[in-house]
Amino acid sequence: MMRVITLTFLGAFGATCVAAEEINQSLDAASDGTVSITNVAGMVDVEGWSRNQVEITGELGDDVDELIFERDGDEIEIKVKTKRRHSRDIDSELFIKVPGASSLEIHTVSADIEISDVTGEQSIESVSGDITTEAHNSDISINSVSGDLGISGDKKSMRSRLSSVSGDVDTENLSGEIDVESVSGDLVVVNGVFDRAALGTVNGDIVFHAQLLDDGRLDVETVNGGVDIEFAGDISARFDIETFNGDIRNCFGPEAVRVSKYAPGYELKFTEGDGSGRVTIETLNGDLRLCK
Amino acid sequence: MNEENNRNFDDELMAAAAKLSTEVTPDRDLWPGIEQAITQPARPGRTAWNSVWAQAAAVVLLVAGSSGVTYLAVTEDASPVSPVAEGPTLVFEQASAQFGSMYNLGPDYQDARRSLAVKIDEELTRLTPEERAEVEKNIELIRTAIEDINAALAAEPNNELLQKLLFNTYREELDLMLRVDSIASAAMRRGDI
Repeated sequence: MMRVITLTFLGAFGATCVAAEEINQSLDAASDGTVSITNVAGMVDVEGWSRNQVEITGELGDDVDELIFERDGDEIEIKVKTKRRHSRDIDSELFIKVPGASSLEIHTVSADIEISDVTGEQSIESVSGDITTEAHNSDISINSVSGDLGISGDKKSMRSRLSSVSGDVDTENLSGEIDVESVSGDLVVVNGVFDRAALGTVNGDIVFHAQLLDDGRLDVETVNGGVDIEFAGDISARFDIETFNGDIRNCFGPEAVRVSKYAPGYELKFTEGDGSGRVTIETLNGDLRLCK
Repeated sequence: MNEENNRNFDDELMAAAAKLSTEVTPDRDLWPGIEQAITQPARPGRTAWNSVWAQAAAVVLLVAGSSGVTYLAVTEDASPVSPVAEGPTLVFEQASAQFGSMYNLGPDYQDARRSLAVKIDEELTRLTPEERAEVEKNIELIRTAIEDINAALAAEPNNELLQKLLFNTYREELDLMLRVDSIASAAMRRGDI
């Protein structure tokens, strides 16, 4: 381990340390390398461009210790170092331009994150910052505690893994596989095309207005949230839907039937089309709307 | 100097922890048995709980593995270890923890859950009061949901939907703690904060 760390430091070149408020720096970069960004508070704005360079502009907070901006092989690291997290003025605004095919690894605590025109994989974690990004046929993984997530795609197949504890998750035009979960945030998936989608909350509402492809699978589970499903295009699947204490309103398929002796729950099982896909929806107290 | 050493140690520790798998590979392949339990219809005399226990086994393995990573992250004299932790004995007993009105989760699960809860309490002190309140509120939401499902199970103990929801909500509680631990560690255990 020590050897790896030592090599990392020895291999670094182009490193600069800055303790000024205004920043404007750049480094040559690989066209499809990885850019790692850590900023505690403030804002991170990342934009893809056609140059093989990473450029940072913006401002550092007065209590920032230093900005690390260095390259190690195909990796660029950008790190705002602070003396202590709760220092008074550590908010730093970073405007970063990266080669368009770069992959991103971003960690913030309360800094908001905005990403555009970056086509590589994205791995993002934040405690309370809001995250807005675009997805372009490379996998994305985003975790947040209380920040809201907004992801827009271009319907190219990819894998999205999104989670928030209390923030809302809004996606549009994603495609491929999606796995979204939240405890109390609402989940909204619209205008997508999916082979597989798994959506789960404890208290948040779930909206899925998208297409499920043939042989696709949709799993929805919530304890107390409402569920609104509206399939775009044709749907061919076996449906297995059950609520313990919630209503089911469906625009197609047979009527739901009561199943529980102790609660006004309903069950709805049927096959639509040739039944190649599978749709499973389960709630404790949430109501369900199912249409196409 | 000591502070610098601590920072280097923290960086090294986080790098080591990051390289560890958060999944546990047991010393024998358990999946065929779990898959069989999940996919095959229950045999006469058996109930859907068998598949629930099989899933619970996966949770115990997950939690045990994560606890191993957590232990590494908080123990100062941690030495390099194999990424494959030894799996705990899979004991699902009618023990102290409530899992529905008829069954209980075994002590392994409870131990892992308790140790993770202690770890999360430590991590929460690193967050701002607002962030901490947000996480605690959501943990409370999950625990209330668990109580609600348990209450429903008391009236309808053989309801498979309730059994699944209860198991998954327990899992959600663990997921939440693991996620908060992961995010807080990644963001705040670095020498830069």
